[in-house]
Amino acid sequence: MMSASTVPATAAPPAWGRVRSSRRVADRALKVFSVAVSILGVAALGWILVMLLVQGLSALRPSVFTAVTPGPGTEGGGLANAMAGSFLLTMIGILIATPIGVLAGTYLAEYGRGSKLASVIRFINDVLLSAPSILIGLFVYTFMVAPFGNYSGWAGGIALAIIAVPVIVRTTEDMLSLVPAPLREAGAALGAPPSRVITRVTWRAAQAGIVTGIILATARIAGETAPLLFTALNNNFWFSPSLVGGVSNLPVTIYQFALSPYTNWQELAWAGALIITMTILGLSVLARLLLKKDTVR
Amino acid sequence: MSAALGQSVSLGRGTPANASAPAKVSVRDFDFYYGDFRALKSINMEFRERHVTALIGPSGCGKSTLLRCFNRIYSLYPEQRATGEIMLDGRNIIDPSVDVNELRSRVGMVFQKPTPFPMSIYDNVAFGMRLYERLSRADTDVRVEHALRKAALWDEVKDKLKNPGTGLSGGQQQRLCIARTVAQNPEVILFDEPTSALDPISTGKIEELLEQLRSEFTIAIVTHNMQQAARISQYTAFMYLGELVEFAPTDDIFMNPREKRTHDYVTGRFG
Repeated sequence: MMSASTVPATAAPPAWGRVRSSRRVADRALKVFSVAVSILGVAALGWILVMLLVQGLSALRPSVFTAVTPGPGTEGGGLANAMAGSFLLTMIGILIATPIGVLAGTYLAEYGRGSKLASVIRFINDVLLSAPSILIGLFVYTFMVAPFGNYSGWAGGIALAIIAVPVIVRTTEDMLSLVPAPLREAGAALGAPPSRVITRVTWRAAQAGIVTGIILATARIAGETAPLLFTALNNNFWFSPSLVGGVSNLPVTIYQFALSPYTNWQELAWAGALIITMTILGLSVLARLLLKKDTVR
Repeated sequence: MSAALGQSVSLGRGTPANASAPAKVSVRDFDFYYGDFRALKSINMEFRERHVTALIGPSGCGKSTLLRCFNRIYSLYPEQRATGEIMLDGRNIIDPSVDVNELRSRVGMVFQKPTPFPMSIYDNVAFGMRLYERLSRADTDVRVEHALRKAALWDEVKDKLKNPGTGLSGGQQQRLCIARTVAQNPEVILFDEPTSALDPISTGKIEELLEQLRSEFTIAIVTHNMQQAARISQYTAFMYLGELVEFAPTDDIFMNPREKRTHDYVTGRFG
């Protein structure tokens, strides 16, 4: 039998001060610690940017954009050929990667839902997403450079495309998955075949997100160095219009010039680093604006 | 409304049920499965031509499931399947030999949440009719205006047909979806709780619209709102746990139900 004494008829309200002070201290400590670490992280990034601005701006003069990269021990020079080469390589990469990436992402989100094949592809894509880029450079080297005995811009562009594809696949799939199912049903309910619903309705609904993914992939490959070392390599002259032979480009130029003993090379490396960083920053801001504009609407 | 309740033969503002109207859609021994789960059990009923038939019942009773069979929209999901017959103009539309897209051009559907496509108001309305008809620009213009007028939206959007459909209010978006469906000249229009996401004024407009559309189309509507069913339909089917409990003229369902379960539901005793 339960005696009345174990359950008091009128329970006294709990006493104040039950939250121990040690818990409050721990709470505060975690907050202070996480803020401090965040500041440290952002400060490191800020430092890099400040250094880049100071050194890069002082090295930036009109000739950087007009003259070609100087030979060893030559005075002056610029980065015109490297910038043009980088632009071309990035364009080749993104033009190859966009259709492949968007279509594969579309397959994963629209046709392959819940299928075995789709989950295998998704897994491999995730692996590719985090594959070391130098491996991709070596891979392309073995079948596009070694057999022909010649570096080329095409090999470089394809290496960059292989890096961009998984990024585009991933963002395309994610953005299409955000399109509400009733929108697809509404398209189907009007008698539109799946191909029509995808091209006219779901792609359009996810347009801003997909374009953002492509821009972010562009930003990603614009600064890649390792895959170009084995493919496009670099050179100090205007490259051949056929893109056969070494194609000058910014990342590898920066890599070579920064490690050199020549002051003008080092200065050009700073200028190149600033140009690349600003381009990538600009692309990222553009991507954000696009996405924001779409969500506001 | 209160004065009418006692003696009126018709609860709604619509004309009373006409029992001599031919059946447009007949459901016979119809079963539906989500995987192994039997969601609809031996459904038998008829949808009369140019009448509004309401499907009511508590959540999970299968009313939306049944509605989604008339245009086979369920076939987007491979684990869902149906057996039995749904006859529309002499064809069993459940039969795989019936092309789903052709079926859907004959049986339109309006969803619970408005689903404007990410394109202009004009292109939204033209979307469906462009699928199956080759139309000149001028013909398209005429058809778009006609459909928007039928959906009671023309006056509100005639000056901004190029604006995105997603920029309209919820009620306007729903009428846009109705215009898009009507533009295809379907024979049957399915409404899946078309007003449950809308405010009372928009709801009123949609209900008026349904009454007008009835002169041209056979309408089936799923609704959670029993007053709505009473206001707008001529026939009502009460469903419970995947079974059709009672199907009769709306007046009978609400004032003189044969089944005790129907009586309990419409008087608010459960559900």
